[in-house]
Amino acid sequence: MQQRQQQQQEQHHFHVLAVDDSVIDRKLLEKLLKVSSYQVTCVDSGDKALEYLGLLNNLDPHSTASSFSSTSSSCSQPPQQEGLKVNLIMTDFCMPGMSGYDLLKRVKGSSWKDVPVVVMSSENVPSIISMCLEGGAEEFLLKPLQLSDLDKIQTYLLKSLHHSCTNIDKTDLIDHVDEDINNNNDDNNNNNNR
Amino acid sequence: MERNPMRRQLAVMRQSLFDQGYLDEQFVQLEELQDDANPNFVEEVVTLYYRDSARLILNVEQALERKPFDFNKLDGYMHQFKGSSSSIGAKKVKAESTLFREYCKSGNGEGCMRTFQQLKKEYATLRKKLEAYFQLARQAGPMETACHPK
Repeated sequence: MQQRQQQQQEQHHFHVLAVDDSVIDRKLLEKLLKVSSYQVTCVDSGDKALEYLGLLNNLDPHSTASSFSSTSSSCSQPPQQEGLKVNLIMTDFCMPGMSGYDLLKRVKGSSWKDVPVVVMSSENVPSIISMCLEGGAEEFLLKPLQLSDLDKIQTYLLKSLHHSCTNIDKTDLIDHVDEDINNNNDDNNNNNNR
Repeated sequence: MERNPMRRQLAVMRQSLFDQGYLDEQFVQLEELQDDANPNFVEEVVTLYYRDSARLILNVEQALERKPFDFNKLDGYMHQFKGSSSSIGAKKVKAESTLFREYCKSGNGEGCMRTFQQLKKEYATLRKKLEAYFQLARQAGPMETACHPK
């Protein structure tokens, strides 16, 4: 179907910025996202995330380009705001230095405010969860993450897709978005069995 | 070809890790992420876990040598250890780290020390078993070959 093809093409261009101080969780998250056909850039702190997004002062984009690990060389760009596309930010809540909540607030108060932010934590603390959701987080996910959790974020990415200006016929996409979410879930399940 | 019996042995070994409570469902999640593009993914993650754990264990050991105990610091290390253990499905190690954290929160130094000893034991046992498992997996060879009929 043309819609699904378009969607899968767009999915291949979805770029997720993953923020976690744990090397194990970064590796896991990167793999989860890659398996789901997203492009991933991993950073190990909120500060590095802000740097990547060009939100720190005195940033020299060219000197920091080499310190970020991206999974797709065809999509790696120097971290300048112009031309850099981030479709989703996934951040751990509890990190030394800047917390995931602090990062969330900084992002929501910046030119990246429309990018969905998902917060993750190994702790199930209702007050923290509501604080993050009230702070603008799209979703709060409990670690360790599983492939089924990625289905949720796919929904936000598809939503953000038809909010942004792309070459897709938006009305067609909106009409079929629910159907295609289900179809994509099947596709992802099939992909995982490969 | 010896691979079929080895594959069987591997499956038995794997099942006992779950039955005896060393690993939980999260380990299966890791296995499901492994694919042809990344055939050693699980072992890579587990190797990262060993490295990370060694660092954290050392940190806790050093922190326990300083009296009075800095329970916040200890809890911080154990939060990380619990997180990484949880991420690879290390069930018993995770349980010990949870217990350790409870002792931290109630300021029980004795409890922390006792639990830490137990945690180190569980970690060492798990590591030994996983190393044996991955070694056998390497010897048993890739799945595809083992599935070919003779």
